Amino acid sequence: MKFKRILSIGLASALLVSACTSTAAPSASAPAASTPPAASATAGSSAATSPSAPASVAPTALPVDPAEKIIDGVEANAEISFWTFYLSPTFDGYIKDTIARFEATYPGVKVKWEDHQATFQDDLNNAFAAKIAPDVINLSVSEGWVSDYATRGVLLNLDDKVPQSVKDIYFPGLWKEQLVDGKNYQFPWYQGLNVELINKRIFEKAGLTEADFPKTIDGLKPLCQTLKDKASTVCDIRLTVNDLIAQMVYEGNVKPISADGKTFTFNSAEGVAWLQMYVDMVAAGTVDNTTLTTTDDRTGLLLFSAGQAPFYATGPNLIREVKSNNETLYNDLAVAMAPLGKSNVTGKGLMSISVKADTKFPNASIALAQFFTNPRSMVQFAQQVSIYPSSPKAFEDPFFSSAPAAIEDSARPLAKDIIATYADIVPTIPKKADVNQIVLKAVQSALFDKVPAQQALDKAVADANALIK
Amino acid sequence: MTNKLRAAPYIFLLPAVALIAVFVVYPILAVVYYSFTDYDIITPPVWVGFANFVHVFQDETFWLALTHSVIYLVATPILIGLSMTLAIVVNRKLRGIHLYRALYFVPAVSGSIAIGLSWRWLFDRNGIINSILQTVGLIHEPIQWLATPSLILPIAIMLTIWAGVGYYSVIFLAGLQNIPEELYDAARIDGCNDVQKHWYISIPGLRPQIVFVFVISSLAALKVFDEIYVLTQRTGGILDSGVTMVFYLWRQAFQLHHAGYASAIAIVLLAITLVFSIVNVRILERQDAEA
Repeated sequence: MKFKRILSIGLASALLVSACTSTAAPSASAPAASTPPAASATAGSSAATSPSAPASVAPTALPVDPAEKIIDGVEANAEISFWTFYLSPTFDGYIKDTIARFEATYPGVKVKWEDHQATFQDDLNNAFAAKIAPDVINLSVSEGWVSDYATRGVLLNLDDKVPQSVKDIYFPGLWKEQLVDGKNYQFPWYQGLNVELINKRIFEKAGLTEADFPKTIDGLKPLCQTLKDKASTVCDIRLTVNDLIAQMVYEGNVKPISADGKTFTFNSAEGVAWLQMYVDMVAAGTVDNTTLTTTDDRTGLLLFSAGQAPFYATGPNLIREVKSNNETLYNDLAVAMAPLGKSNVTGKGLMSISVKADTKFPNASIALAQFFTNPRSMVQFAQQVSIYPSSPKAFEDPFFSSAPAAIEDSARPLAKDIIATYADIVPTIPKKADVNQIVLKAVQSALFDKVPAQQALDKAVADANALIK
Repeated sequence: MTNKLRAAPYIFLLPAVALIAVFVVYPILAVVYYSFTDYDIITPPVWVGFANFVHVFQDETFWLALTHSVIYLVATPILIGLSMTLAIVVNRKLRGIHLYRALYFVPAVSGSIAIGLSWRWLFDRNGIINSILQTVGLIHEPIQWLATPSLILPIAIMLTIWAGVGYYSVIFLAGLQNIPEELYDAARIDGCNDVQKHWYISIPGLRPQIVFVFVISSLAALKVFDEIYVLTQRTGGILDSGVTMVFYLWRQAFQLHHAGYASAIAIVLLAITLVFSIVNVRILERQDAEA
């Protein structure tokens, strides 16, 4: 009887231990479920989502400058709504001051600002469905939201409405990105730089320095093999699961679709070579498969911040997150520029501001979108967080030529030259989300189901062609 | 009776009826309508007849999702067996047993997202399970549990069982406490050991609870979403290895913006659930008649 009692208590204790183990797990990774895909490993969106960015820096409000009033015909007494993505509460001070300056510059116009975060796209879709969408919307270029909404006819064509003198304010590559049928639907806003954060301690263990970080994408495979062999660690690389076609275009110089837009062509030799690089790394066990296939950039960043990954591609602004989570690692940190893909294009824009097609106040809305993206507003924003302006004139500010004080600002002197080369080289993809699902399935079958890369992409092309027929 | 008095019950019912009409009846009718349309939430729906339903039955991923949901269903008896065992274990007078009973119930009152995140942490490449296995020398390199297609569904099922076992054991515990103690005394006099005692008395005595738990847990199994959403970080797992019907419905509606097609999947799921519920209710009625 006593034995049975002890046995039952033992059994109960074992179950209790398992229960407590799980409930005691940290919930610090909570953003996983809520971090939207737009927060992928690109600098600016990370800036916007970074909880460790300085807590609501209250910038000194700039005085009103009549020279900022460059849009004519703004409707009298216009009341416009403005949605941003993941900027509150960190940048409340900046946004509110800029709105106040805008309202003083364009007297009579009132702006109602809302910041939406994890549910941004759901909220926006619902708002469009209910005919209550905001007049001015912060959309991610890097995630292809502009072309997505423009294709559905809900954004205002800016080419017809904005004078050439205003268009010339921006880097030409940024103004022309995400064109739909040759028309532009966005004002380029804040930009990011793609950098690699390097854990020097792991690199030293493998006999490497940050100078050994490859300059081109081809160098990643041997680097990861070295890190596995000598430092017993795997690489923290992420596929852009939400936009694989863009990734294969930039990294592999793949032509995804024919010139007439009617036949997919990503099963070319370039496409196969691009996929084979990842297949080889998975087969060699040199990459973290979870990070590789996640939609959540925080997975890789947390792994890196915990000191368990040799490097991670992100924006310099997120170095602050490493600093707040792991001071020791921050002191062992190096930064290298992200390796160049075979397209030789360093990247594309990050965030933009668009105007709703059926807004009652098109000129006031255009004025607000332009005001937030003008050089003066952008310089002030860049002074608070490591993001970069979309206009060459903004870089004339002495702030950008000043010597960087912290490692997170180390890429600042190079920013203008890099951003000037940004271009969206991905052609318009019909039924993009569905095609991406098809490509994702093909990529996963090659990576994890031993389907040859050529065969996987051939099937994906056939399925994608059938979809758009 | 005056007309005024006759109207009174209807006036009292009106608020509830209005709420049900707005939040239950209208959404159901809307889903039925959308299931016959091509609808992306933003632009107006376009009538496509039965095209969405034809597509559902030709869609490989739908069948995969259905298979996963059925596998989940098959795991239900494990949940019942474990819950019953736990109820029997804690159905005794021991010092501090109330504390144990309360602790087993903790997962039932914890948020499913929090539980999912905890499990993800456990099964992470650098998680506690790999650490233990490496420490005791069972593995040399960490296993990438959540990036291995064949492991996603078993881990999700284990999570569901772990999270549900406390809740269902409370139901069984209530049932056990209704079984007269004299029956156990008689069994003991007849020479039954503990296993026989529970086999011949406890389990037959728990039959109503078993049927009840089977019905609600199997319906819950058909609606699994949270576990997959969190464990796979919204991807459904590599090669859709963890995609269930509700997850697939969510992906179609909110990731791919195919609200019309998602509505068709919802209607098919509704039909399956309805058939399942009717079968279960028939079993319950038959059991009541036998009792």
